[in-house]
Amino acid sequence: MKKRGLADFFFLLLVGYLLLPVLATMLYAFASKWNKTILPEGLTLKWLSTLFQDTDFIQAFGRSVLLASGAVSIALLVIVPAIFVIVLYFPTYEKWIQMAVVMVYSFPGIILAVGLIRVYSQIGIPMILVVLGAYVVGILPYIYQGTRNSLRNIDARQLLDAAQLLGASKRQAFKKILLPTVYPGLFAGALLSFSVLFGEFVLINLVVGSRFETVQIYLMKKLSTSGHIASAVVFIYIVLMGLLTFVIAIVTKRSKGATNL
Amino acid sequence: MSYLVIEGLHKKYGQSTVLTNINMDIQKGEFITLLGPSGCGKSTILRIVAGLTDASAGKITIEGKDMSGVQPKDRQVGMVFQSYALFPNMTVQENVAFGLRMQKVNATDIEQRVQEMLALVHLSEKANAYPKELSGGQQQRVALARALIVRPKVLLLDEPLSALDAQIRKKLQADLRAIQRKLNMTMILVTHDQEEAMAVSDRIFVMNNGSIAQNGTPTEIYTRPDNEFIANFIGHYNVFTRQALEQMLGVTLLEHCSKFAIRPEALHLDQRDGDMCIAGIAKQSLMNGNIIRTTFDGETMFTMEQLHQQQGYSIEMGKSYKCYVAKEDVIALS
Ligand SMILES: Nc1ncnc2c1ncn2[C@@H]1O[C@H](COP(=O)(O)OP(=O)(O)OP(=O)(O)O)[C@@H](O)[C@H]1O
Ligand SMILES: [Mg+2]
Repeated sequence: MKKRGLADFFFLLLVGYLLLPVLATMLYAFASKWNKTILPEGLTLKWLSTLFQDTDFIQAFGRSVLLASGAVSIALLVIVPAIFVIVLYFPTYEKWIQMAVVMVYSFPGIILAVGLIRVYSQIGIPMILVVLGAYVVGILPYIYQGTRNSLRNIDARQLLDAAQLLGASKRQAFKKILLPTVYPGLFAGALLSFSVLFGEFVLINLVVGSRFETVQIYLMKKLSTSGHIASAVVFIYIVLMGLLTFVIAIVTKRSKGATNL
Repeated sequence: MSYLVIEGLHKKYGQSTVLTNINMDIQKGEFITLLGPSGCGKSTILRIVAGLTDASAGKITIEGKDMSGVQPKDRQVGMVFQSYALFPNMTVQENVAFGLRMQKVNATDIEQRVQEMLALVHLSEKANAYPKELSGGQQQRVALARALIVRPKVLLLDEPLSALDAQIRKKLQADLRAIQRKLNMTMILVTHDQEEAMAVSDRIFVMNNGSIAQNGTPTEIYTRPDNEFIANFIGHYNVFTRQALEQMLGVTLLEHCSKFAIRPEALHLDQRDGDMCIAGIAKQSLMNGNIIRTTFDGETMFTMEQLHQQQGYSIEMGKSYKCYVAKEDVIALS
């Protein structure tokens, strides 16, 4: 009992240590004045409303959403069919995808950025497209895991065979059986990718910088001008991520309930 | 005219030959079993008939129509897979309805036919369950219903019962046979269980190593095996070389062949008119249900099977016995 209490104590300490800066930042976003006191002197919505009236922020937010969702959409259109074809018809090639996945994880963003700049800056492609391309490749692991895990527990090839013998075309079989089966995993993978890209800073800052100001870059700029505004940005960011996490949790849970995953 | 004809089927995967010259001639409403050891090419034949795999050579004809180039979805061939292959994202009802949906049958007809079909396989109360909520036997029945509902011309069953325990298996065998009779459905069942083949089929094709070793009714196959493989695979025959058997019998056998087979239950200890006799020392007795199987050591080892209730002899181990067999029960193998 005693031991247990001690463990709990340290656990709480750890949670506190991790959460305190987040909570403090969030609180700071609503603090009217917070200089000499332990808790803010008053609460206000001033910072948030300033933020929402700032067209720079709205635009940056829009750019972030556009960039992240663009990359995720392209990845879904390109990578998912590729994974299906490989898993179904060329299973021996799957090790190459797995290798690509490991490489994506192990490649430091800064090296990637330098490489991209050196290779592409002379060619004349807009650098933002280069970043978009890097993003598409970068979320390969999430999309791959999302699809693969759902496919692992079913014999996809045999399900397609069974559907065809019941009069379905390959397309119908794919649409009515395989897609619904992998959909929850895929959806979770897409949301996860989105949130990772939404928070990406290294690549976009080094390769494109203020020429395409995303929320992260906006935040960086605000850090030096107004701590309150920066905190408000962080607050919005955290709320957004919380929402995404919540949706992912629901989707993965439901997929366990209804289908054979 | 035959309903399903398979002519000169060959299949190669790269260098290895999987099927050599398969010929089958199947009548409408026949229950055919493909029986053979693992890896002999049974599933490959089914997949070729269904159009899921291409043959290297040969021809499939269903109802007089050449199937070459016909897509699986247009062949009207149904299949039940060993691992069920139920659609995990659909309920039992939706699984069974799938084929009719693809045919664009109207909703009220679908509903009615699905209900009938579920009643036929005794699963009406599971209509809204998902496949993973069902037992293996139940899943297999859903797979059967799903394949039957579109009224295929031929239904192929790839070891549908082999994952189930003995009791459910027996029950499903009987159900399967009853349904087949009721619908007058042409079926090909693949199995490597000879008892199952004997129990359900009109005709058995025994396969060995990519070709058909013998075909015939269960009785024909059981009582007149053509060769040693069949004799061993069906019914645990005693197989003797000519030399060993002639020595044991003390007579010269007239048939021109090198091997002979005697069914274990054709041997008996009491002498009847015209019997031949082989002698051996009793080595071991095993009880298998109501059958006692005794191994004797003569010129070669052989076994005898007797019904348990047949009291009268008790066999002592280590003692020499004379076992009798009728002349016609000594089968010449080719
Ligand atoms: N896609 C394939 N590529 C290469 N070889 C294959 C392929 N499919 C089957 N084979 C080979 O063909 C042979 C016959 O396979 P098949 O699945 O028809 O056997 P089976 O009689 O159904 O066996 P089992 O009772 O174990 O299911 C096997 O030796 C197998 O290795
Ligand atoms: Mg097989």
